[in-house]
Amino acid sequence: MSTAMNFGSKSFTPRPPDKGAFPLDHLGECKGFKEKFMKCLRENSFENALCRQESKEYLECRMERQLMAKEPLEKLGFKDLIDEKSEAKLKTL
Amino acid sequence: MQCRDRQPAPTLEPAGPGRGEGIGATGLGGSAVAGHDSDQIETMEPVKDRIIKVTFNADVHASLHWNFRPQQTEIYVVPGETALAFYKAKNSTDKPVIGISTYNVVPFEAGQYFNKIQCFCFEEQRLNPQEEVDMPVFFFIDPEFAEDPRMANVDLITLSYTFFEAKEGHILPLPGYQ
Repeated sequence: MSTAMNFGSKSFTPRPPDKGAFPLDHLGECKGFKEKFMKCLRENSFENALCRQESKEYLECRMERQLMAKEPLEKLGFKDLIDEKSEAKLKTL
Repeated sequence: MQCRDRQPAPTLEPAGPGRGEGIGATGLGGSAVAGHDSDQIETMEPVKDRIIKVTFNADVHASLHWNFRPQQTEIYVVPGETALAFYKAKNSTDKPVIGISTYNVVPFEAGQYFNKIQCFCFEEQRLNPQEEVDMPVFFFIDPEFAEDPRMANVDLITLSYTFFEAKEGHILPLPGYQ
């Protein structure tokens, strides 16, 4: 049986990002969402898990302003937040 | 110049008639790492008991007069959970400057599990005089990190970005740089 891929002692090789580069937000259109996210981090000991809603909102801002290719949120790792949103919507009906 | 339409890594498809290649679990090749396409992102589950501290460094090459720094010193993440972090760059000169960055991850062996979904690296970024911009990095640590015995004692990963000036005629040692 062949073994799993052996990375051995290779030195680190940088890889381009999967979806390419973010266009620069020259106009600061999403700066407010960034600030909200950073504030959340500062208030939560920089724990990413507690600020995922804010990070989702930042990325949604980018998508709405052509600063990021539109993707379903599940494909960005936010499927659990979408489910919660749907549940909340159902409750308000 | 935008590269939003860069194709994500190919999703796994069954090989059909006439297809010379099939991308299967065993066919990723020696230089590829475990697939991190958007299907994986959609289905991966966070490994909540493996908290990893990610710290951030920022450097500029001596000839690039930008103020470049991370906006957070650290973020705590778990494998399988997408995370966002920010850097900030300011062109403190009175001329537009085009920069391009590369990154490094230590420990080296953890780098294979560090997946950048999107960031600001490897593409030329132009800042106008005195312009300051946020530079996001959207990433995750592959859940397989938690299953690698070599990573058992790794709870700190440091991400370092370095910006260079992209001048015409200069060739920079960056993957895919033309």
